Amino acid sequence: MTYIEKPSISNVIKFDEHNVAQVDKLTVMLNTGTDIYQGACKKRGSTLKDEYRKVAGVAYMDPKDMAKLGVGNWDSVLVKSDWGAVVVYAAHSRDAPHEGMIFIPKGPWANVIVSNETYCCSDPTYKGIEATVEKSDKEVLLMADLMREVYKKYTKKAEGVN
Amino acid sequence: MAYEEPITDYDKIVENCTCAFCGSNCDDLDILVKENSVVGVRHACRLGASKIMEDEDQRLKVPMMRDENGELVEVEWDTALDAAAELIANSIRPLFYGWSETNIETMKPGLELTELVGAVIDNQATICHGPTVQAVQNVGYPLMTLGEVKNRADMVVYTGSNPMNAHPRHLSRYTTYPKGWFRKRGRYDRTLVTWDPKYSDTAKLSDIWIPFEENGDYEFVNAIRAVLKGKKLTKDVIAGIPIEDIYELTEKMKNTQFGALFFGLGLTHTLSKQRNIDIAIQLIQDLNKYSKWVLLPMRGHFNVNGFNIFMSYEMGFPYGVDFCRGYPRYMIGETTTIDLLNRKEADVFLVIAADPGAHFPSGANMHLVDIPVIQIDIHWGPTTELADIVLPGTFVGVETEGTSYRMDSVPLHMKKAIDPPETCREDEWIVTELLNRVKKIKEASK
Ligand code: SF4
Repeated sequence: MTYIEKPSISNVIKFDEHNVAQVDKLTVMLNTGTDIYQGACKKRGSTLKDEYRKVAGVAYMDPKDMAKLGVGNWDSVLVKSDWGAVVVYAAHSRDAPHEGMIFIPKGPWANVIVSNETYCCSDPTYKGIEATVEKSDKEVLLMADLMREVYKKYTKKAEGVN
Repeated sequence: MAYEEPITDYDKIVENCTCAFCGSNCDDLDILVKENSVVGVRHACRLGASKIMEDEDQRLKVPMMRDENGELVEVEWDTALDAAAELIANSIRPLFYGWSETNIETMKPGLELTELVGAVIDNQATICHGPTVQAVQNVGYPLMTLGEVKNRADMVVYTGSNPMNAHPRHLSRYTTYPKGWFRKRGRYDRTLVTWDPKYSDTAKLSDIWIPFEENGDYEFVNAIRAVLKGKKLTKDVIAGIPIEDIYELTEKMKNTQFGALFFGLGLTHTLSKQRNIDIAIQLIQDLNKYSKWVLLPMRGHFNVNGFNIFMSYEMGFPYGVDFCRGYPRYMIGETTTIDLLNRKEADVFLVIAADPGAHFPSGANMHLVDIPVIQIDIHWGPTTELADIVLPGTFVGVETEGTSYRMDSVPLHMKKAIDPPETCREDEWIVTELLNRVKKIKEASK
């Protein structure tokens, strides 16, 4: 277990900016990419488990942005872009400050909201995507449930729908 | 992290194994084995160790196919291989994707199968360093080996890459910390620079951190090139960086004895894509008027470079090679995986040692819902949720030996430490079996 244990993120939300206006929806720049916890968990093979959801189904945000939205660590947020919408956890970023930017490690959750446009360069656009973040009361889905909900490859057959 | 007792309960140590995770291919790992299972590993980083101490629960152990309810059920090897061969032999536009986490030996029959059925063969470079390969074709490649950097470099620059997260031993084994022939004091004799909009874990260790704006890389590098050419910058701030800092940095870069630039996906995944790399390579060319500079892409998987080298050697093209006309063709944006999926062109998808379920945008993955997917892998992952036929492979570098290429194109032998589970088969064997079975089907239908 040692290899995927995450450092504890402090649970303090600093509302030090008194004139920070509370907002329901935040417009942000979305970045995705690799992160050591996601990498370790993925290659170890533990993708069906809760650990994977905790390391890849999470948006690392600037604490100030979280204060604006009024969300704490491990609260659910809905992230929307032109390509889709997905519910992930919010968590304080180790790399803060980076107000207006969120980071979601690569994985099935990030995939839903990144762009598949390659501009004829073979490489999809994984970084620098405009997105919005809002509070959500939905639970973050486990990998298998997410794959079923997003792609519905076999659920159609199972339910007899075509 | 809690303190853990050293592991003393083992039968033997297999020394100098090569790590099968990232492109640093550390070849100094000691694997501790007890009763044919790995109980510990020494020298690996968190990433390497997590992969070698794999999660047994999710290991794919038997061949599987979907039943009428869409559930994966165990089948015989023969049944699964025949079904897969049948799909491949009868397809019009098969796409064989992956290959970066297996050995070169598996790629040989893979390429033969590709030629036989007129498929497209592609690897992870298509979604990571593809633009790098294109840029190298545009403007060249001032390459070195990591050993040179270790012995000579007095300035190391990382941009668009966060090795402390993706290649954790890169700094400590090759570039920054080790003592080298001309850098007797190791870290103290080198300047570490990070250009990254984020205060990344690597930036935290650096001597100089240049936080240019998001998507500001192209402008920033161009500014340095302008200064190098003796031009005056007319704006006060460029890409979020005050010009005094740009002048100062350029001066430092000119006055190093041996500089090395490492770049990662931060450059290839933003909007300027291969143009970012073009400009980075040209920067290195310009710097060489003053001092010795080299650059290297930070390749992700341990054999992603190997595939590109293998394909270039065999077919003349690095990735995304299309054989549908009977001869190899390569056309970025046409014969590359994401584009083929976006256009809904492929009709059978074979994925080996890769996880598109976890790494492709879902807009591209959506096409995998409509076509049969054959998966060769070792763990039940996101792709397995989309797979119709699952063939369990073995773990290269732990259970199977083979050849891989490090990010600086040095080939390394990967050792075997334990025997694979009885019901699994080596990737090379699986692909060769598929090849033979497809040949038989083709011959019978003549
Ligand atoms: S740096 Fe890369 S190759 Fe070296 S031990 Fe870590 S994961 Fe393995």
